Amino acid sequence: MKNLLEFLRNHFHWALFVLLEVLSAVLLFQYNNYQNSVWFTSANWASGKVYEGTSWVESFFSLSKVNEDLTLRNFYLERQVAQLRRLYGEATAPEASAQEQQELEKLAQYKLIPAKVVTNELHLSNNLLTIDKGAKDGVEVGMGVACGKGVVGVVFLTSDHYSVVIPVLNMKSSRISCAIRNRGYFGVLRWDGRDAGIAYVEDIPRHARFKKGEWVETNGYSTIFPPGVLVGQIKEVYNSRDGLSYRLQVRLSTDFGNLRDVVVISDKSIAERMRIMQAARDSLKLNVNE
Amino acid sequence: MKADILKRAGIFVIFVLAQAIVLGRIHLFHYVTPLLYVYFVLSFERNYPKWAILLWSFAMGLAVDIFANTPGLAAASLTLIGALQPYYLELFVPRDSAENMKPNIQTLGPSKYSTYIVPLTLLYCIVFYTLEFFNFYNWMQWLFCVVGSTAITLVLIYTFEIFKSRQ
Repeated sequence: MKNLLEFLRNHFHWALFVLLEVLSAVLLFQYNNYQNSVWFTSANWASGKVYEGTSWVESFFSLSKVNEDLTLRNFYLERQVAQLRRLYGEATAPEASAQEQQELEKLAQYKLIPAKVVTNELHLSNNLLTIDKGAKDGVEVGMGVACGKGVVGVVFLTSDHYSVVIPVLNMKSSRISCAIRNRGYFGVLRWDGRDAGIAYVEDIPRHARFKKGEWVETNGYSTIFPPGVLVGQIKEVYNSRDGLSYRLQVRLSTDFGNLRDVVVISDKSIAERMRIMQAARDSLKLNVNE
Repeated sequence: MKADILKRAGIFVIFVLAQAIVLGRIHLFHYVTPLLYVYFVLSFERNYPKWAILLWSFAMGLAVDIFANTPGLAAASLTLIGALQPYYLELFVPRDSAENMKPNIQTLGPSKYSTYIVPLTLLYCIVFYTLEFFNFYNWMQWLFCVVGSTAITLVLIYTFEIFKSRQ
């Protein structure tokens, strides 16, 4: 007992030391946010590692579900992108080219019926396209159809709400009368059934003077288009098969592969001219018959 | 005994005020702060009661902490020095010295005094800044603090000692 007391007296200061250090440590961690936070994060380091390991293993079991979700999400987002892209294209398209606007303004003196192409084809030799305006919207058979870039075709059939158009890209039925801009020599626009961007103007007289690169436009002689609707640019000049005229290879200004908005050209004076022409033909026939 | 306590209390107050008002506000090169109050613990004479040294050290550390807004930091470091000081001092005491010899340049001689005072000051700075930083992420900065503070504290201690021995 005496020894124990002696021992305690000799080593009492170590107990005091430990006590004071513990007190300091308590103060240190209690009142200093930084040390406190570091202490707890380092104390939690071990448990954190354990949880990390288990969650890593567990994540493998949920991968198929995650994959499924991602596929669905991907599909949804892709659809959204397509939708937004279409809206963006529609919103920016009219401002895109001032030239197109100009072309449409040229037609403004006529009554124009705006329409949208609902079916279109390029791969046949006698292509047709459908627009979403019909007889009830004022579309009649024989009216011309154009877009901001140039000539498209002629209305062939109408129903109440839809019309079928014979575009330039119809080998058998499309005959559009056109002329070389500022020169006046005229011919007939035809297509050979191959490249959707190339057509031919035939029956240009041999004495005509023009250059490659000049523009071809409708001449207004036909009863379908008013004069000045753009057709295309002269690329090459050939002789016709019989050698009596020129055959011009023309790069069409209308992109039939990307045709969405068109206008139907409705002109009362055209109908009047058609009528008088018919009358003249009839009377000539009569004269011949006589 | 009472006189000793009063005298020590007076020195205690002077050291605390010096640290709180002047030395604690010095941050040479942003980091180096003199920690002169460690001198208070290092100057306890031989055979001073160990528990008393511990209490004084803790009180000194706590007082400095209160002024520096770092509760527990200097208290923990200084209590450690207070626990080591009597044992470490015993290694340098000459055989024929008095029972209550005071450790200073005259009694120990410059070289022994240096080997007594430099490691303890360095240890104090190491413990102090380790606790303050609490990680070794910025170990270059930590090293700079430790070395710089040790150096400037030692310079102050030597100045004190030489000034005292001249008198």
